[in-house]
Amino acid sequence: MTDQGASQRATGRVRTEAVMGTLVTIHVVRADENGVDPAIERAFGWFREIESRCTRFDPRSELMQLTAQAGVPVPASAILYEALQFALMVAEESGGAFDPTVGHRMEARGFNREHRTGEIVRSTISPDDDVSYRDVRLDPDRRTITLLRPLTLDLGAVAKGLAVDAAARELEPYRDFAIDAGGDLYLGGSNPQGAPWSVGIRHPRLDNELIDSLQVSNQAVCTSGDYERRTHILDPRTNTTSDTVASATVVASGAMLADTLATAAFVLGPEEGIELLTRMGVEGLITTPDLKRYETRGFCRAT
Amino acid sequence: MAQGGSNKKVTNRLVAASCAAVLAVYTAGYARTQSAANRLAAQVAERRAAVPAPERVTLQGPERRASAPIPARFLPPAAPMPDRVRIPTDLPRKYVEKTEAATTDVPGSVAEPASIEPPEPLIAVAQPAPPINPVPAPSIAPPVLPAAPAKPVWKDGTYTGWGYSRHGNIEAAVVIEGGRILSANISQCRTRYSCDVIDKLIPQVAQRQSPDVDYVSGATQSADAFYGAVVEALSKAK
Repeated sequence: MTDQGASQRATGRVRTEAVMGTLVTIHVVRADENGVDPAIERAFGWFREIESRCTRFDPRSELMQLTAQAGVPVPASAILYEALQFALMVAEESGGAFDPTVGHRMEARGFNREHRTGEIVRSTISPDDDVSYRDVRLDPDRRTITLLRPLTLDLGAVAKGLAVDAAARELEPYRDFAIDAGGDLYLGGSNPQGAPWSVGIRHPRLDNELIDSLQVSNQAVCTSGDYERRTHILDPRTNTTSDTVASATVVASGAMLADTLATAAFVLGPEEGIELLTRMGVEGLITTPDLKRYETRGFCRAT
Repeated sequence: MAQGGSNKKVTNRLVAASCAAVLAVYTAGYARTQSAANRLAAQVAERRAAVPAPERVTLQGPERRASAPIPARFLPPAAPMPDRVRIPTDLPRKYVEKTEAATTDVPGSVAEPASIEPPEPLIAVAQPAPPINPVPAPSIAPPVLPAAPAKPVWKDGTYTGWGYSRHGNIEAAVVIEGGRILSANISQCRTRYSCDVIDKLIPQVAQRQSPDVDYVSGATQSADAFYGAVVEALSKAK
């Protein structure tokens, strides 16, 4: 996905940082306002803080510490608790097509390299093949997490989405802004021309082409594709990679919602995927490897 | 008439859950991000200061110059009638509880408990009942208040605007017909609590021809967000 057109970037404050295994760009349209730079700094602060708690690639992260303690209730920070709780809700709603307990299978497939150091990270546990999101229990009163069996959590999509949403909230007083976190976009207000932001959806097979272009305002747009990091999306139910979808794009009120549902839709395939998005009240477009388009009813209207 | 679009409110479980999660995380780390919050507080303070003034309400903040005269004739009745409102929510109980519970610590960020606003009560709110006889605004307006400031003339159409609060944001859609506010609605409710708590404020916009809706005890943030949203929508209708 690309944030289209140089003109949209013509004015304002733009900053890019490498965080969460991707490049994150924040653009605030009216840079002359008081406190823009500190606000952007705080927005990036959310990315760093959420990454440090939820990453699978640092054995000292809160997530990996939790992974090391199956069977006992572990007190969790607000960030980890909320991210996991939301992930479990999406798992339930999607019948397990999205599942945060696929971490060890990702490791087994070689998705275990820390993006900055290149260091191989591997948890020492070997979970049963049939672990699923049902093996995680939350206690809302004590805010603890219990892993009923040894398993490795992967909160990649949730954490990135949550960071985008928290950053968006940080920038809300400035109204017109864009956050681009490697495929997860949030577009606040209007672009520098005062029009809705224009977002291109990348063609899943032709690098420099777009399959569609959307006009959005105060919405997140996330795409799960098989092209950027080839087949990094596993079907947790069958432990295989999905091959019926080339890319799934979701437009929703927030990036955490859009990213997780795009992943679930990718796994479910075009028909079931669109059915899920419709049921969840978000809009989306799914493209198959032979470039057939499936859309939710309101997809054009939403754009 | 003003209730027409309320079915457009976002009520989906996951949508609500994601908003709640982001707000819980944001609130927990709120001490770190104080200055953004202060900005929101400043908007609210401006509003409180501006309410008695008959003329223009100016909101501080980015591009928020919106204004609207507040005719004194439609101020709420002096003695508010308590009214119990049950607040339905789409979230299962445990998720609601957790939102409440999660508002304190983020390890690593030194959260000052004092700076974290206590959550709004979820059980019931007391709020003034709307005026018993809805005032047929246009016909009686001139005799009641001959010295009213020049009436705002809005351009016909439907306008939307966002209002912000620490508990989330509300988008209002305002329909202008014949230069007057025909109706106002909540087109998107992204607050931590259901927007049902401020349902009664919705018709007030058209009744009063003004964004100056009542305060709602227990839902001040939502009411302020709605006010801000209507102000912004009306600013586009100038």
